[in-house]
Amino acid sequence: MAFGLRWSGSGAFFATEIRVQLHEWLAILTGTLTPGALIIFVAILAADLLPVTLIGALVYSMFLIGQRVLNEAAYIRIDHKLNELYHASPLSPEGYFIGIAGGMLVAYLPPSLVVFAILELIHPLGLVATLTLAACLLAVWAVSSTIGYVVSTLFKDMKTIWPYSALLTNLFGILPPVFYRFSSVPVAWRSVVLVLPTSAAAVLVNGTAGLETVTPPEAILAAVSLAVEAVALFVFGIYWARRMARER
Amino acid sequence: MHRPVAEEALRAGDVRKVYRGRMGPQVEALRGVSLSIRRGERVALLGRNGAGKTTFLRIASTLLIPTSGTIHAFGFDVVEEPERVRPLIAVVPQEGKPFFHLTPREQVYCYLRARGISRETAKVRTEEALGKMGLQDVGDRLSVTLSGGQKQRAMVATVMATEAPLMFLDEPTIGLDPFARRAVWDMLRELTRKGSTVLLTTHYLDEAEALSERLYIVEEGRVLFEGTSESAKRQIGGTLRVSIENGGHQRDLFKSFGGIVEEGNALHVITGPERVHEIMDLALRNRLSATVGPVTLEEAFLTIVGRSIDAE
Repeated sequence: MAFGLRWSGSGAFFATEIRVQLHEWLAILTGTLTPGALIIFVAILAADLLPVTLIGALVYSMFLIGQRVLNEAAYIRIDHKLNELYHASPLSPEGYFIGIAGGMLVAYLPPSLVVFAILELIHPLGLVATLTLAACLLAVWAVSSTIGYVVSTLFKDMKTIWPYSALLTNLFGILPPVFYRFSSVPVAWRSVVLVLPTSAAAVLVNGTAGLETVTPPEAILAAVSLAVEAVALFVFGIYWARRMARER
Repeated sequence: MHRPVAEEALRAGDVRKVYRGRMGPQVEALRGVSLSIRRGERVALLGRNGAGKTTFLRIASTLLIPTSGTIHAFGFDVVEEPERVRPLIAVVPQEGKPFFHLTPREQVYCYLRARGISRETAKVRTEEALGKMGLQDVGDRLSVTLSGGQKQRAMVATVMATEAPLMFLDEPTIGLDPFARRAVWDMLRELTRKGSTVLLTTHYLDEAEALSERLYIVEEGRVLFEGTSESAKRQIGGTLRVSIENGGHQRDLFKSFGGIVEEGNALHVITGPERVHEIMDLALRNRLSATVGPVTLEEAFLTIVGRSIDAE
């Protein structure tokens, strides 16, 4: 029971969430539309940017999972009261949080695997770049799932949540250099961009894949920021899940 | 899992809850609720909307922290040891709905598995619960396609299948047809025969009367009455009800005969058998039609709560 974590029933709840999401297969398909459309535009307008866009699509898709965690956690709490069913049970609050976040990850992974396969065809990644990609995507998932889960607990009605979901997606997924090159960012803004989890992930993967030049200090700043944010936020997510299992 | 050892399934002492609104005024939802439920008992918590029933249920089921007071389930402190209480309880939340993108069969089975119940037992209990709730024919349809009543039955089946030692049901039969309600009653009776304890809230007083061995009436966060439905009826001053049509404006004429409950333009006089003739005579002399019947729990409830409102 490391760090006092309790995992009883979390595997079953994780499987429940995957099952719920797979019944909503249309949502999984439509979730690929935004990155899919961007990939098509770039393929037509600037084919040389396609690998960068594909990596951006992977990072963006991973960040979108967090927004789906936000919507799912809020929906089953506000509309279905299922959080009460599960919190008043042996399933631990951390198992509930990680069940939703993990279930979303698994259910929404197949479209990302397709994007990865296309990337491998166009610009094969070496082992280091592939491992960097996997680690960065996992970190983005941890950050965005936690943000999604925490935000989901702050509101009492779904309509209030939707604008925040859109805001977060644009703030982390569209504005920073996720779909475009880091070198396009003015120098004064680069350190800010390297601290944002999505652009840090994109910069690191693009750098290790040889798609753009990243200096060692920039790479270190991006890697440390992403790692610290992922670990710190995920731990906070567990703390928050426990806290919110009981209203005060 | 720790086995429950205490004789009492639930004991609450002077439980208070104040909701401190960020914007609005603070709300005192519970003002010192004390109650005790023995193992294997079925108890109903009755009260008007906003009386504090759901707040109490949420505190007892570890979902809400009280402002003060003590509450123990099977001897475990609900506030301090929620992780020891949770394996022993199950909750049907008010207005809860199943996962819309699971079938009732998946919903029940997955929930049992998440509670740590083995695959084999979960399968058997799922089929039993679906059968008892009349959901076998729709067991493989996504819940989003079910009627409101079927969804509610799926929720009740999910919780009943746990056979948890202590169950909290917040208006479990809301929206159910009379047949489905009776199916829930039967299932609850069976569960308590097996040793489970049930605390439910309901606005259907016939349900409370048919199902609960004891009831608590709460009003404005306080317990007004505790006892059986029969003792609730006795407490209001009689076992018979004389209903006087269009008697609403004649309250003063009849108030000396017993408790008075007004309902629209009708007046119900709660009295004993020895005074029925007098009331009937008086009604007839005043050209009012009157009928006699046994007192219902609803009248007892209205009288007990009504007295409290009048006193305030």
